[in-house]
Amino acid sequence: MPVRAVFFALVLSATLGGCDQIKSWFAGKPDIVYAPYGKDYASKPDLAQVEYEHPIPLKELIKVTPKYLAGLNQEQLDQLYARLGSGPIPNGPFDGEIVFTRGGTGKLRAAEIVGGLAGLGLNVKGKLLETAGETLWKGKVFYRDEKVLRNRIEDLAVLRPVIGPGDIPKIAVDGKDAWLLFPAKLYCGQSLIDSRRESIIIDYAFTDDIPGYRERPDFLAGRRGLKVRDEIRMVRPGLYLGRAYMDHAFILNFVLYNKDLDRAGRAEFEAGQVRDTCWGGTQKRIVATR
Amino acid sequence: MNSSKPVRWIAVCVIAGFAVALWFSQPAHEARATLPNQPTPSAAVPPEATALPEVAASYNDAAFHAAGTRLSPSARAGREIWFKATAGNARFHTYTFQQRITALIDWYGVLRGDQRDTRFKTWGLINDPGCCTPGSAGCPAKSYEETYGFDWCPGDQTLLKFVGKAGYRDPACDFKDAAATSSDPAGHRDGREDSCNLAFGTSTGALGFRKFPNPRFDPVAWKKLNGSLGTWQGYDRKLSSDPARADFKLRKLADASIEPPFLIGTSCASCHVAFDPAKPPLNPAHPKWENISGLVGNQYIRISELLISGMPHDDLLWQTFAHARPGTSDTSAIPNDQVNNAGTINALINIAQRPTFAGEQVKRWRKTAACPTGTKASSCWCEPGKPGKCWENSLQAETVHHILKGGEDSIGALGAIQRVYFNIGSCSEQCWVNHLTDLRQLDPQARNFGQTPFDIGQCRRDCPNFRAVEDRLQNILDFFLTAPEGHARDLREARANQRQTPYAEADLERDLDHRFGKNAVSRGQQVFATNCARCHSSGKPPFEAVNFRALDSKTGLRADWLGNDVPTPVTEIGTDRCRALHSNHLRGHVWEQFADENYFARKTVSGILEPHDGGRGYYRNISLLNLWAHAPFLHNNSVGPELCGWGGDKANPYEQYRSSYVDTSRPGNPPLARDKQPACWQYDTSVEGRFKLYVASMNDLLSPSKRIPKALKLDQDIVLDIGPRIFDGKEEKRVTGFTVRVPAGASAGNVGNFRHKEFIGDLVRAKLEPAELDARLAKILPAHDAKQVASEMRNIGKAIVSDPNRLVELVKAARARTPALWQVYSSCNVEIENDGHRFGEDLSEADKNALIAFLATF
Repeated sequence: MPVRAVFFALVLSATLGGCDQIKSWFAGKPDIVYAPYGKDYASKPDLAQVEYEHPIPLKELIKVTPKYLAGLNQEQLDQLYARLGSGPIPNGPFDGEIVFTRGGTGKLRAAEIVGGLAGLGLNVKGKLLETAGETLWKGKVFYRDEKVLRNRIEDLAVLRPVIGPGDIPKIAVDGKDAWLLFPAKLYCGQSLIDSRRESIIIDYAFTDDIPGYRERPDFLAGRRGLKVRDEIRMVRPGLYLGRAYMDHAFILNFVLYNKDLDRAGRAEFEAGQVRDTCWGGTQKRIVATR
Repeated sequence: MNSSKPVRWIAVCVIAGFAVALWFSQPAHEARATLPNQPTPSAAVPPEATALPEVAASYNDAAFHAAGTRLSPSARAGREIWFKATAGNARFHTYTFQQRITALIDWYGVLRGDQRDTRFKTWGLINDPGCCTPGSAGCPAKSYEETYGFDWCPGDQTLLKFVGKAGYRDPACDFKDAAATSSDPAGHRDGREDSCNLAFGTSTGALGFRKFPNPRFDPVAWKKLNGSLGTWQGYDRKLSSDPARADFKLRKLADASIEPPFLIGTSCASCHVAFDPAKPPLNPAHPKWENISGLVGNQYIRISELLISGMPHDDLLWQTFAHARPGTSDTSAIPNDQVNNAGTINALINIAQRPTFAGEQVKRWRKTAACPTGTKASSCWCEPGKPGKCWENSLQAETVHHILKGGEDSIGALGAIQRVYFNIGSCSEQCWVNHLTDLRQLDPQARNFGQTPFDIGQCRRDCPNFRAVEDRLQNILDFFLTAPEGHARDLREARANQRQTPYAEADLERDLDHRFGKNAVSRGQQVFATNCARCHSSGKPPFEAVNFRALDSKTGLRADWLGNDVPTPVTEIGTDRCRALHSNHLRGHVWEQFADENYFARKTVSGILEPHDGGRGYYRNISLLNLWAHAPFLHNNSVGPELCGWGGDKANPYEQYRSSYVDTSRPGNPPLARDKQPACWQYDTSVEGRFKLYVASMNDLLSPSKRIPKALKLDQDIVLDIGPRIFDGKEEKRVTGFTVRVPAGASAGNVGNFRHKEFIGDLVRAKLEPAELDARLAKILPAHDAKQVASEMRNIGKAIVSDPNRLVELVKAARARTPALWQVYSSCNVEIENDGHRFGEDLSEADKNALIAFLATF
């Protein structure tokens, strides 16, 4: 039973977290430097120093693709995330992709911990889980003015037993229908990995006062369920890197992408004119000037 | 092997470990540089706020400043910083503590204006004499609608206009700097950081607690939530009264999308300010500035309960953090050192006479005018835009104080003062929260599995609040060294003030002799010289020849500090060793850069079971100055009567007192039967009240066999429902998981000291890599104990997989069979908190009385 529960929890988290077959738009691999690190937690470099010594030029952020992000291990994702700002709170639909925690070997971190054949099995299961999550979860829709977000869920059949009967609002993106479930509140708040500046928080804890909230299944992500809380930072307009937590425990990374917003915001981004909505901290960021 | 088995096993271990450990303990507006920079609601300024009249003459800051007029300009500046500067920690106390550390503070419950008169009794807070209750005679604010439920305080005529609006100009921007230290390089003298970054805000009504207008505040949303601008009750409310709901313990405070009208910050005065023992107020709820001292230390404050006041009482966090006596706080808790060790707020008196230690090897940053070309920033750094303002990091021999209970802060007084600002939240986001342990992180490869060192150089570079304080540290030290409120307040002086008649040393000695026996004071001096002075005097032996009352010609203070400040092995003192096992200053830990090389090189104390290397295991020999005013005793205020604000009435919802008396004749040291518990003593700040408490506490101290043992216990079960829930349209159902119940009566210290990460790691090893577990345990335990612990871990692992609900029961039974288990998985095993310091127990009753009489004269 516990294994099923964990699987169930991860699938749900995955459905809220990240998805679609997102394609690379840029051929060149970004030249982003990562500070040296070892295996042990104590060997991981201070994020303030990483940013001070290895600021990411805008022209490299422009080259980042969802595929590039999906290929990073967890420490690289942490170091990259820490060098991002919140950007503006997004508006509109985003495709999503899940990125599970990978260790230094490139395998899922949980598989590394277990090791051996059992670890191999876990690695396979984890990848299945990624696929399963992405099959269900197509992305997120931001309603910036209302400070609300809803998740795009593809296959209701899987969730129907816990949803119960009744109509569910839907959205069409690129000609494909998806159902809007699991609303969340949007606000600027504390990052649980990098305190030096705020992230955009996607919080499922107090969603019962959001218009359209359905106890079933929205309850599952909320304060009485899995206590999901996501945070995102902007790579560039239209591309955000996110982290999903359950009851403050880190579960997975995810990527949000909207190609139209990416195109539309490119010039402004290249000119260094995209501002963070959230508190940007006091460490001088060099990103916009190099 | 079926791959799902180890996964299942690890999942259960992880969840189980959390369940046992479970204390998850872990603590701007700021000035211009750190203000949130987001757009704010357009209709943010409430009409009431803009209509405030000009300030009435009687409520302003003039009396605060008048109390400092006798000080030098530097000490005066230091005093104002001490009382008002939050150095940007309002963001910490409003956002970081709640969202990252996960502890909720009910700021309105603590600071609401309509409870101004009972704030001292409930929380031990000292009311700001400059503030007033809206609607009271002469108060510029006429209703709580204008002040969002708080007191009205000087500066609010401006501040309130900026609630929900950007652009507030902090009063610290108008701070009058004293002349810079002439010996500093010119670049340092001319390049001090903008004083705005001291971040004063205005008083909340309780001294040391400061408020800042929240530019993100939305009055429309607030009214909808609370029904009015004048209350926070909707924000404070519990979410449900239905115990079947998973969120029924929770309060709306947990909704981080809601922005309150104020960000709340704290200055150093929040804990250090209290009533002048020699000039107590007639009514503690209505002090005047003449009754207040910023340095004496608040022995009544319930800062632990305050910082956790938004959490339900049966929450793990509340039960492990809140059990501290009045006037004590576990200041190492926020970095999650997992050592439960609440300690007193020290009286900062007669600092000019405090012993120093020469020739210590101190690696720290020192002011310089320039850096050699090509030097790395980690060795020498110049502040951009401030010519000649550079800092060099080097190892040099220096004379330093030993500060903190174990002398851990040892890179100099200025560094120790600066660290206090971090301890209260300054630069938390920029510099130190990323270095803390995340109690939920169980992967040893992941960030925040354990602490990493705070980097002073990085913080100076990245946090303007750091620089604003650092550039004025000498002012604060000058305040300590020279302000009259930092001078010892003798009982003689207190009685003279109280009686409003001359009362000389001879009068005091006469009265003490009358009370404690013929020639008690002079006999007490002999007893002290023979038995106590080797630790509690800063003079030199032979102590029979020392005049403990001699004055220092330079300072005019008594030359003897009545303590040598020398670190002494805790095994010699015998008191609760948990504080001595504090680990935040160890190499690789968060405050490493605030300890000197001599600290790291201390000899390892023998006879301690728990980890105690790297400088741990010692207590300083403290000062006995003004003992008459600072009872109860020991570092945790455990020796002497227990104190309470409301008389101990459990039916009173504002009474925070919980008896810690235990029955050591019964297994598990359960709470003493209620009819056998001594009553708590209600706060009495009068001269005679303090003296009575002193005498009772001294009797306890000198007669350890008569002390009733104390151990702070959980007063409610901690119930943890582990596992996801679903809702079927009618009721919540847990899909899977289990319930863990840590019963009331368990020692709060044992829960707080449990090293769950080691426990979980070893449970996993016991299953997957038993040889590795055996090898690990063999390194830290004798062979027999190692085998026994390994066996217990294997058995616990098997048992919890089949029935995780029995976890606590299993661990408890294993501990009873194998005490070494706790040696491996606890940071501190101590149960009884008022044990030890048995010095003097063999003295005759007459000599004990004599000692009490003698020490009352200092």
